[in-house]
Amino acid sequence: MPESRKSRLTRPETLTALGIIVVAAGFLVPTSDLRAISALLPAVMLIGLIVLSSLLLLADQRRAGEGVPATPMTQSPKRVIGAFLLIVAYALATDFIGFYVSTAVTIPLVAWIFGYRSPLGLLIATVIVVGTIWAIFDFGMSQDFPTGRLLGR
Amino acid sequence: MYNDLLHALPNVFALTNFIAVVIGVIAGIVVGAMPGLSATMAISVLVPFTFGLEPLVALGLMAGIYNGAMYGGAIPAVLLRIPGTPAAVATTFDGYPMAQRGEGGFALQVAVVSSSIGGIASAFALMLLAPPLSRVTLLFGPSEVFWVAVFGLASIIFLLGGNPVKGLISACFGVFVSVIGSDPIFGNDRFTFGRLEMLDGINIVILLVGLYALPPVIDLLETPLKTDGVNSSKLGTESIWKALPRMKSYWKTWLRGSLIGIWIGILPGAGGSMAAFMSYNEARRTSKTPETWGEGEPEGVAAAEVANNADTASALIPALTLGIPGTAVAAVMLGGLLVHGLQPGPMLFRDNPDIVFGFMWQFLFGAILLVLLGGSLATNSFARLLNLPRPLLGAVIIVLMLIGVYTIHGRMFDVYLMLGFGAIGWVMDRLKFPLPPVVLGLILGGFAEENLRLALRIGRGDPMILFQNTTSLILVALTIAVIVGPTLKRRYFDSRMKM
Repeated sequence: MPESRKSRLTRPETLTALGIIVVAAGFLVPTSDLRAISALLPAVMLIGLIVLSSLLLLADQRRAGEGVPATPMTQSPKRVIGAFLLIVAYALATDFIGFYVSTAVTIPLVAWIFGYRSPLGLLIATVIVVGTIWAIFDFGMSQDFPTGRLLGR
Repeated sequence: MYNDLLHALPNVFALTNFIAVVIGVIAGIVVGAMPGLSATMAISVLVPFTFGLEPLVALGLMAGIYNGAMYGGAIPAVLLRIPGTPAAVATTFDGYPMAQRGEGGFALQVAVVSSSIGGIASAFALMLLAPPLSRVTLLFGPSEVFWVAVFGLASIIFLLGGNPVKGLISACFGVFVSVIGSDPIFGNDRFTFGRLEMLDGINIVILLVGLYALPPVIDLLETPLKTDGVNSSKLGTESIWKALPRMKSYWKTWLRGSLIGIWIGILPGAGGSMAAFMSYNEARRTSKTPETWGEGEPEGVAAAEVANNADTASALIPALTLGIPGTAVAAVMLGGLLVHGLQPGPMLFRDNPDIVFGFMWQFLFGAILLVLLGGSLATNSFARLLNLPRPLLGAVIIVLMLIGVYTIHGRMFDVYLMLGFGAIGWVMDRLKFPLPPVVLGLILGGFAEENLRLALRIGRGDPMILFQNTTSLILVALTIAVIVGPTLKRRYFDSRMKM
């Protein structure tokens, strides 16, 4: 049975194709300011992306019309979104409060949230990883890591 | 040119270069043994850490990881019926039944010896075939180089299988990313949006880590590992040297599997899993006892493992000579070469013979070391790696990704960019958009644009310059063959099926 209009438009491939078309069209605007020879390759690629995504969109909508169900992108969306958010939060924390503090918190936090609940194991793993990073990068290679914008250093 | 090959040999035995191969092989086995991690991901994470290293140390690590991971994938395939890498799927067919009847140790020994033989054969193929091919490509001018780039992209899009529209979208995306930054000839900014960080373009490592490392980490955190595996402490392992005589009857399978793996490796777009399946099917077809296959036949493990390792170095033949990688790992390794200022293609052999030939020797020694490190010493201990908690592993990889990308230029902007590519990579992975064309598009995009513009300048703007010599026309014909070939082949088989 064909899907409803709303569910047809929320199919992952349809949404992705629409996203690519919008973004590629947005990037096409600045190509008009470039010299023709500089704009040639990017413009061809962006137009290619728009045309190909339109084909992808049509093919996906045809499948929807035939009643072919869309394959879900993940079986556990909450875990995927959680994982992404934690990774982004780790990057932001590194930027704003510093690398070592963020890392010492992130390793046990991520492992705990996603199912590894041994306090001793978490402690040992965190000490080994942070210690090894410090020994190799800070002590051995004099590599500076972010110290945190909020801390003003 | 083979003299250069011999001259490069002593470099491989320099202590640091040799240790790099040893560490690489061990790390590769560990990574391969972890379901969800792959050689591609490991090399992507490793590349940024090799910036400060000598090229042969960095390449030795990569060669070791590639060799080690292809065998490491057999460990969970045998013990848990979960292939550690996609190329180890065929290993599960007979490896797991062997483990169930208490012969897991012997199955792993067959796997490591076969992997080593496949790797050695592949390294010899690389040494013998790449130098003459590179000599031919030295004769190429700008229009031929442009067509080589187009042929490379077309190969990986259309021979990879799957949906060609998605392959083309991936390639367009990769080529588009390659043009971000300053125009190579006029110097004006393209798509930098006023960000100074973007002026030099997008560093390939940022793209590699985002596309190849972030999605597997999300997978590690998304699903807990469920197994029905046997207890890995009951492997029934004896010394590998005692087990070798039991394998002497597999020589035909090793020879056949090596040839299949080398051939598949050279073909752009194919890969280790296809090689392993083809070798397994051929060995089974020619076996005197095909009814025992699938129920714990050690020769089945040998057939699969020899082929999936035989495609490792051979995948680098088109990569090193033409800049066209045969597999995703080869594409990532090309990125690794670029990081060290080594542009894959004909000039590589002329300008850096010590490095490129040393790299080939490292592949050979990596394959030999596989037996010593993955065999009698480590089989039991590596099997226990499977007990490492996946969430903890995921957390550690996240930290390594951030460090690797941050240390390229010492700025957080690159980390945010990597996360953006990671999100795109995850969506592409889930919707089955192929990732190798993105990497190849980034590598070949700038290369193709530069040579196209050079050719047009030589021809004073006349595009017919691109079709004015025989080599260009051959490359155009090959590109068309690659594009229409799979469709014609499918139609031919469909019509035969109907008959």
